[in-house]
Amino acid sequence: MTDPKPGSITEAEAIERAKQGDEAAFEILYHLHKRRVYSLCLRMLSNPAQAEDLAQEAFLQLFRKISTFRGESAFSTWLHRMTVNVVLMQLRKKGLPLVSLEETLETEEETPKKELGAQDVKLTGSIDRLQLQRAIDRLPPGYKTVFVLHDVEGFEHNEIAELVGCSIGNSKSQLHKARLKLRDYLKFMRAEKAGNT
Amino acid sequence: MKCADVQRVLPEVIENRQDGELEAHLKSCPACSELVSDLKLISSEARQLSASDEPAPRVWVRIAAELRAEGVIREPEAATPAPATTSRRSWSAWWLVPVAAALLAGASYIVTHKPAPQVAGQQGPAVTTPAAPASQPPATVAQAPAAKASSPQNAKNREVAEASSAEDQQFLSEVSQRAPGMRVTYENQLRSVNNYIRDAQAYLDQNPDDEDARQHLIEAYQQKAMLYQMALDHVQ
Amino acid sequence: MESMQRTAVAGLVLAMCLASVAIAESRKEYRYNVGPQANVSVDAQYGAVSVKPGSANQVLITAIAKGDKVDVESQQNGNRVEVGSRLRPGADPQSGRVDYELSVPPDATVHLRSSTGPITADGLQGDVTLEGAGAQVEARNLNRGHLVVQTMSGPITLNNVHNGHVEITSISGDIHLNSVTAQLVKVESTNGRIFYSGDFGSGGDYRFSTHTGDIEALVPASASAEFSAQSLQGQVQNDFPLQPKQHSHISLDATRAFIGTAGKAASAVVMRSFSGKIRLKQR
Repeated sequence: MTDPKPGSITEAEAIERAKQGDEAAFEILYHLHKRRVYSLCLRMLSNPAQAEDLAQEAFLQLFRKISTFRGESAFSTWLHRMTVNVVLMQLRKKGLPLVSLEETLETEEETPKKELGAQDVKLTGSIDRLQLQRAIDRLPPGYKTVFVLHDVEGFEHNEIAELVGCSIGNSKSQLHKARLKLRDYLKFMRAEKAGNT
Repeated sequence: MKCADVQRVLPEVIENRQDGELEAHLKSCPACSELVSDLKLISSEARQLSASDEPAPRVWVRIAAELRAEGVIREPEAATPAPATTSRRSWSAWWLVPVAAALLAGASYIVTHKPAPQVAGQQGPAVTTPAAPASQPPATVAQAPAAKASSPQNAKNREVAEASSAEDQQFLSEVSQRAPGMRVTYENQLRSVNNYIRDAQAYLDQNPDDEDARQHLIEAYQQKAMLYQMALDHVQ
Repeated sequence: MESMQRTAVAGLVLAMCLASVAIAESRKEYRYNVGPQANVSVDAQYGAVSVKPGSANQVLITAIAKGDKVDVESQQNGNRVEVGSRLRPGADPQSGRVDYELSVPPDATVHLRSSTGPITADGLQGDVTLEGAGAQVEARNLNRGHLVVQTMSGPITLNNVHNGHVEITSISGDIHLNSVTAQLVKVESTNGRIFYSGDFGSGGDYRFSTHTGDIEALVPASASAEFSAQSLQGQVQNDFPLQPKQHSHISLDATRAFIGTAGKAASAVVMRSFSGKIRLKQR
């Protein structure tokens, strides 16, 4: 026996109801987008408590302005750009660079030690989600921003350039360096894990 | 093409641009070929991290409390009928949601507001009240009348105790109306978490710099917030 | 002859009783087609809820109503499936009881809630949230996802939970963890007891804390972790051969706190109580 009437409402209907102040509609919109918004904040900040605060702030900003939403762009696009802005604002407040300076000198800790044989470890196959998360957490803030926006969230370089306030070329090179760093980190983690067992 | 040239064109390669010269090099160079496939793998696997994590339920509790306080959410009777998803929550006592949120906010307040340096002979300043953060909506938490007491610390504590005990009484009477059989259970749980708060607060008053005690106080408030939230979800 | 009649009557009565039990118990099945990473939530109010992995693109829910003062509602909203009990006026834990059995895609995000339970989640790889007031909660054979469990007084048991994040909160329910290795394992209680048994994996961050509840960890000799224990007003006891931590300048009251490492200290284990007893033992 299959349930004949799945009494559901669409996102567009939820938006219209939310404009009337209907709590249930806000809750539906929240549940539809909470994971993407929270995960974005978590990846960028690497701190669950701060990520919760910022996800909350992003939703509040959006819901306060929902009556002005006319559907020119997708609701999700609107929300995600707003989330990115909230996060970037927070990073600026903390005085962290949104893009790394090309000349930035890397500290010893940032570069995994090569003598542990990490270079011989291969990544081929698949990457563990948790290891990738941890590797991203270790990225310097600027690299992290561009990598998360581009490779995790799917923003284009021109959008990132606009959001972050850098050139498109800058965004591309930061992304490339971030990936190279992640590769090193992941190899290092694998070597370390192999050494432990 | 040489290995060094690969580094130069790589950023474009991963964006799925075709490059015949590069392809030829990759076929003959295992090192570059592995590098390119690793970077592509990282890029593609990163996608699975989008929307990978679930925020704690308290995030929605806080958002809803704030929206209600700002009037963005209007009372249910003024709005169009709610869909089935939330109608299961039949508590009319909407005050409870912001109280739970305020308790959590109180907990985070303890983290961010460490006591000021001690003046000799003076007791530690109040570290928290569940209703303390200015960002909380004014109408959400019962306001206790300012207590007339000898020291500010005592006044603050009494204020907190009165406000919190008024909420607790309202909470328990709501539980007994809805589920008389559950009253004793909730009363016992409430006593436990209040004891935890009381003990941790007293210890912290004596040892204002004790990070461990501060952490216990935060956790005690979180336990109480969970109890309130649980009543909302489970006592119908 | 008389006895045969009596037997027949008794049999008839028994058959009628069974029939009425069968009528009182109504069974409904719901099937929903879903995509990857579906979201499934069950609000059982009163009754048992259990979930196990099934087909990759289908959610199958069997609702067995045990009482007559309850209706089952279910709906699908895109990739989100919700099912729950709606109590009629005067319903109590018996007359409002519905048991739910779910089979969901292994990667689904699952949220189960019941006041009375028991609640069981087995074999999933997505995020799992289990909420019970007095419900007994058991989670076993979970991998990768985030596990959140909250109860008021219900006891909680975790068996074979690996990777991911684990957050357990109970006010007074006892909490048992057996073989739980994850990036983060956070267990908080007011007066419930916390029992941990097993290894701590590599790179894990374990935090146990209580007010008056006791904390006990039973650990194999091969464990690799840095342990620290502190009770503000209770006793601590260590029966595990720990290496004293190097470079530690903190002077500790040995009856209230200890700190030390085992093996390569691959994970960190922090046990804190206000007045509960803390004990570390070798298995």
